[in-house]
Amino acid sequence: MDIDISPLIENWQFILTGLGFTLALSALSIALGAAIGLVGGVLRTYGGKLLDSAIGLYVDVVRSIPVLAILVWTYFAFPLVIGESLTPFSGGVLALGVHLGAYITETIRAGLTSIRPGQMRAALALGMSRFEAIRTIILPQALIRMLPPLGSLIVIAVKDSAIASVIAVPELLRQSQVLAGKTFRPFEIYTAAMLIYFLICYPTARTIDRVYRRLGVLGAS
Amino acid sequence: MTLDWSVVWDNRWRLIAGAEMTVILTATTMALALPGGLLLALLRLSHVRLVRSSTTGFVEFFRATPLILQIYWIFYVLPAAFDIRLSEFVTALLGLSLNVSSFNSETFRAGILSIRPGQWNAALALGMTKPQVLRKIILPQATLRVLPALASTWVSLFKDTSLVSIIAVADLSYVSLKIRSETYRVLEVLTAMGALYCLMGYPQAKLVDWMHRRFKVVE
Repeated sequence: MDIDISPLIENWQFILTGLGFTLALSALSIALGAAIGLVGGVLRTYGGKLLDSAIGLYVDVVRSIPVLAILVWTYFAFPLVIGESLTPFSGGVLALGVHLGAYITETIRAGLTSIRPGQMRAALALGMSRFEAIRTIILPQALIRMLPPLGSLIVIAVKDSAIASVIAVPELLRQSQVLAGKTFRPFEIYTAAMLIYFLICYPTARTIDRVYRRLGVLGAS
Repeated sequence: MTLDWSVVWDNRWRLIAGAEMTVILTATTMALALPGGLLLALLRLSHVRLVRSSTTGFVEFFRATPLILQIYWIFYVLPAAFDIRLSEFVTALLGLSLNVSSFNSETFRAGILSIRPGQWNAALALGMTKPQVLRKIILPQATLRVLPALASTWVSLFKDTSLVSIIAVADLSYVSLKIRSETYRVLEVLTAMGALYCLMGYPQAKLVDWMHRRFKVVE
């Protein structure tokens, strides 16, 4: 087998565009997921029974459906419901964000409930409001404790962004498919894509591990 | 917008066949990935440095790249570059098994390392050989401890099997997307697909939550 990397060199801008879309898609879906997860996690823990079961339903439904199904539903079926079409990119961000949000909700909830209830009582006794106590005392500790699972969710978000290729978001995998079809060099192109994903995901995971080893003590109580 | 749900009922047997394929893929993959994961975990605990580091590289690589790309790679690169031709089903099984084996190996490794070293020492002091200690003392305890984690992987795998639809394995996703393009009843068919996954996945997810509570490690 002869290896010919010239298709990669000639089309480096095409691949770079894909990488840009992968990073943008991951970043935006992580931001959306984090926003949903933060609100969902706090409301599930402190928002009373009704909110708890409503958000619990969202979490359980999303956790039992594949990302692929959520992506195609959001891009192909959801526009029929709202009567407005979505671009592949915005559909991808929406679907991946809502999917990730369910997992972040659960993670944050687990973190919040792991903080001893005495801390909340102490904060209230000092005259803080519930919201203040959550924001300044409970949540910071919970987030540090939950750093490892949140870190693996970030890596999962980057990997899941590749699934958005099925709704034609021009991200790294999609661009690789187009290129592989055009140049007939699947080995070089898919291997390069694989290496790029590895170079994003592996250092990210290791960095979060290292940060946690430095900060972990702050979450201990 | 008018909805016509009869399209789902009319195609019920195809959807059921797709769901069957999803279950078959999940079960077969797990049947391969449990021994696969255990083997990788044992190789990672080997005394030979080269074995240890190459296994670590293999596992980390599969855990840090997207499964969908791994499936594409096997599907397009093996025949083109190495002249290895596999059927779609075998390709799917190979991709899923390699990926899940890597995740299982981390689970098993964590389980084996979680058993206090005093147990190794005690067993060796009683005159048992290392393989005996592993088989009779360490693995039975470790397996019980990692059961909830393995069950979580099972649920992820169940959902990840949907990715093999991109190489035309007739699982629930592939069948649904096909019915969609034949009938143009996009909303109905895709909603039914989500609902079917939910119907199958929800009890599994709940069972896993229960296992996590039931088998919580107390030492």
